[in-house]
Amino acid sequence: MMVHRRRRAALAGAILGVCLTAAACSSASSASSASSAGSPGSGAGTASGSTAGGKLSLTAEDYFTAEPTHNVVGGILNACAAAAGVTITQDSVANPQLMPKVLQQLSAHTLPDLLMLDNPFLQQIAATGALTPLGSDGVDLGGYYPSIVAAGTYQGKVYGLAPGVNSIALIYNKTMLAAAGITPPTTWAELKTDAAKLTTPQHYGFAMSADNDGEGAWTFLPFFWSNGGDLEHLNSPQAVQALQFVSSLVKSGSMSQSVVTWAQSDVNEQFMAGKAAMMINGPWQFPVLDQQAGLKYGVASIPVPTAGAAAKVPLGGEVWTVPVTSTPREQAAAKVLACMNSSTNQLAYAKANGYIPSLESAAKQIAVQSPQLAPFVTEVGTALSRTAEVGTAYPKIQTAMETALAAAITGQQTPQAAMSAAQAAQ
Amino acid sequence: MPPYRAATRQQKSLASTVLALVILAVMLFPVYWMVNSSLQPGATSFTTSWLPVHLGLSGYRQALSTQGGHLVTSIVIALAATAIAIVVAAPAAYALAKFPGRSTRPVLMSTLITQMIPGIVIANSLYQTYNSLHLLNSIPGLMLADASLGIPFSILLMRSFMASIPGEIIEAARVDGANPLRIFLSVVVPVSRNGIITAALFSFLFAWSDFVFALTLTSANTVTPVTLGIYQFLGSDVKQWTPVMATAVLASIPAAALLVLAQRYIASGITGGAVK
Amino acid sequence: MTIGRLQDTKAGYPGRAPAAATRGGRSRRRLALRRDRLTYWAFLAPALLYLVAFFAYPVVRNVLISFQNYSITSLYTGQAPFAGLANYRAIFDSGLFGGVVVTTAIFTVCSMAGQFVIGLGLAVFFSRRFPLNGVIRALLLLPWLLPMVASTTVWRWLLDQDSGALNRTLGALHITAGTTPWLASPHLALVSVILVNIWVGIPFNMVILYGGLKEIPEELYEAAALDGTGPISRFRYITWPLLRPVTGVVVILGFVYTVKVIDIILVLTGGGPANGSLTLAVQSYKLSFENFAFGQGAAMSNVLIVVALIFAVIYLRINKQAFLSS
Repeated sequence: MMVHRRRRAALAGAILGVCLTAAACSSASSASSASSAGSPGSGAGTASGSTAGGKLSLTAEDYFTAEPTHNVVGGILNACAAAAGVTITQDSVANPQLMPKVLQQLSAHTLPDLLMLDNPFLQQIAATGALTPLGSDGVDLGGYYPSIVAAGTYQGKVYGLAPGVNSIALIYNKTMLAAAGITPPTTWAELKTDAAKLTTPQHYGFAMSADNDGEGAWTFLPFFWSNGGDLEHLNSPQAVQALQFVSSLVKSGSMSQSVVTWAQSDVNEQFMAGKAAMMINGPWQFPVLDQQAGLKYGVASIPVPTAGAAAKVPLGGEVWTVPVTSTPREQAAAKVLACMNSSTNQLAYAKANGYIPSLESAAKQIAVQSPQLAPFVTEVGTALSRTAEVGTAYPKIQTAMETALAAAITGQQTPQAAMSAAQAAQ
Repeated sequence: MPPYRAATRQQKSLASTVLALVILAVMLFPVYWMVNSSLQPGATSFTTSWLPVHLGLSGYRQALSTQGGHLVTSIVIALAATAIAIVVAAPAAYALAKFPGRSTRPVLMSTLITQMIPGIVIANSLYQTYNSLHLLNSIPGLMLADASLGIPFSILLMRSFMASIPGEIIEAARVDGANPLRIFLSVVVPVSRNGIITAALFSFLFAWSDFVFALTLTSANTVTPVTLGIYQFLGSDVKQWTPVMATAVLASIPAAALLVLAQRYIASGITGGAVK
Repeated sequence: MTIGRLQDTKAGYPGRAPAAATRGGRSRRRLALRRDRLTYWAFLAPALLYLVAFFAYPVVRNVLISFQNYSITSLYTGQAPFAGLANYRAIFDSGLFGGVVVTTAIFTVCSMAGQFVIGLGLAVFFSRRFPLNGVIRALLLLPWLLPMVASTTVWRWLLDQDSGALNRTLGALHITAGTTPWLASPHLALVSVILVNIWVGIPFNMVILYGGLKEIPEELYEAAALDGTGPISRFRYITWPLLRPVTGVVVILGFVYTVKVIDIILVLTGGGPANGSLTLAVQSYKLSFENFAFGQGAAMSNVLIVVALIFAVIYLRINKQAFLSS
């Protein structure tokens, strides 16, 4: 019996030992392959595909899974790849799964050759050292809106470029507003009264996303920033006022409490079905809205706290980056990236996505071609990047802000208490 | 039997059937809603009416044209994973049920602990391993990974069924001179049929509905089970629910057929008969 | 008579042959035992290999990460400074922890109670013979066949405050005002995810318990019916005791699976609103994949595993028969 017990203990110990060594070795090996840059075979090449008949085969990763965006972006990628003398595969992952996948690829050093990231995440990924700085690879950084370049910058170097950007504005139902004899509101006070006037048993006056998936914070930021709030002091009086205003819209019945469960696409559905007279949303909804028969919509700037104040809106859009792989692949990828950001390609990308091109010249062109985008073009020039002030701390702030938003709207906490809790969680 | 007695028995079973159908209707109402919205083009949260008055098959057309191959992939992987799971787990379950020893308890507890680990944690570690073994983007790789979903569960479940096999029938086979493998195959397996089928059923379901491994271990549309392919219709901004629901409905049909077949084999009271 | 026999056979297993059969005494017996141990390990080996290959490494890695200061950069460079108990302290002190534990407890207990009771009731109901029994039973497994994104989205629609089918029905029947914020209120959100989880878990319980019920010999029931025992006593003295091993597995696995649930909660409520439906599992996921605090996420999932383990051990102590019958 004693022999058996010892044997069993030895076996268990051996298994544990093997696992610990494996775990330690794998973390060590990923460290060593990070330092041996320029060796294409060490894991980095596996996911991206190897050379086939001399031509490099690159992989691009994004979250444009649905048509027609998937095809348009794929077309641009292919054309640019051909121009650079390589082939490219487009790997589209659904939006909520892109970051988990990127994290896995980070740990195994199998990042694709061209990686698209939502701009708030660029700081985190650049901080790891897994991305190559652009500009040194011959990517021309001139002619872009400064805010966009800032969004893709980490510690003074540019790591990501966004071919298209966007922001949010007030979109309203022209028919409903005309019927109530109202012009689009420009201040908070006007928004409050107009929303109340437009609320009938058939529809709410106003709708905006307040969910806990990133879109709630995104939609709340214009109110937060325009009132003078800053992300490092969530419990400032200005921040609390902004939250007070938004939750008062629900309390007064002008906005549904369900906004805490709605993403921007849900808000858009409500608006399209005539369940909300005004909404906060972005230009990417226009292709969908245009298809809705009988719907006449208008675009206006987001209302500001007091007349004449500047509207401060967040900068949206995805940046494309070139992860560290091997020198020939990085150079080819940089060429593709530069080609993607040409004026023509930016216009095509923007049209497919409902975005604004990030080159000022192309943006002015699109304002002329599609007048309804004009307000956004003006906004985008002064839009603020979410990570400009707080960098890698943004995800935590976003979570806290959305919790506070939901707590105040559902009446679980007062806006003051909610924001204090949010600040305390930092 | 007097005729009126037979009549009430028939009435009783018909009443049971009606009750069963009512239960089915209540439990499956969301499924009805899924079918309902799959037949209404442009379905959203509230534009879906209770009955599909304006029938439209565009959702099914989209689903069939894009997801056909994915469905086949899902079925192939799920069936293979189930087979692997049962082949590996059944002997283990028998060993743990009928050969108790000091290591039985730790092994069972370890098996139980594997079920407590979040799937994403396993997938993250598995990604690195698969990458080094070049098993990424391969159907055999996914088969092995999905089998791991069913093995611990099958061991625990089949073990509890096999525990009640009477020792005498095994002893009888042993006295007849059969070797352990023969005993297992000709005595234990037939007698534990219910347990094995139930375990196979759930191993199939776990493998079929797996999403985490499909997402982690594949890229660039190389190997795409339907749980992953369905996201094709869900962009960030435009979510086409009609083809999503149509895909869900289409995906369930072959799997449901398999389930109906399998359920037939769960018969009753085999052990009782064997003792006699 | 038959009951007595069943109790006898439960005790028997092939390792110990009755004394009369061992001519040749101790050496024969030792050979037999040796062969049994070999058989045991041979049959167990493939499964053990699988378990070690697929599960041992993730568990160990998870434990290691929970003691390190593990950021996104650590993912890439593999370097993570040792942090001792800092991650555990961070999650315990976060002010959220108490609430999350309570939410998890409510979620788990209510889900399991609902799933098991309804599942058992249905299993007993379906053990009778009637037309279409098999088909209906198989169809009840449909919720498990549908891709989770589709079924959870349908639930989101059904539970919508303004236009969901549930509120419309309740309002039409005048049971409520028809404006219940099922998913938009922190407290009700928890109720909603529990309901959906019960819905998902009923087929699991029903099918396994049904299989177990079918193992019980019909003669026992017939004998009892002849003796004049009513259905409740039959259940108490025949069904329930003989179902114990299967019940034990269903309860333990049901508990483990429920505590691990994230997909349903993530799609339905994302853990909100305002953390109303935030369980340990969802919080662990969010810490790792939304806040990128991997050390804390790993620590929380380890807490989860320990909690599940403690419950399992307690349950097995109380219910020895349930798991290790004999």
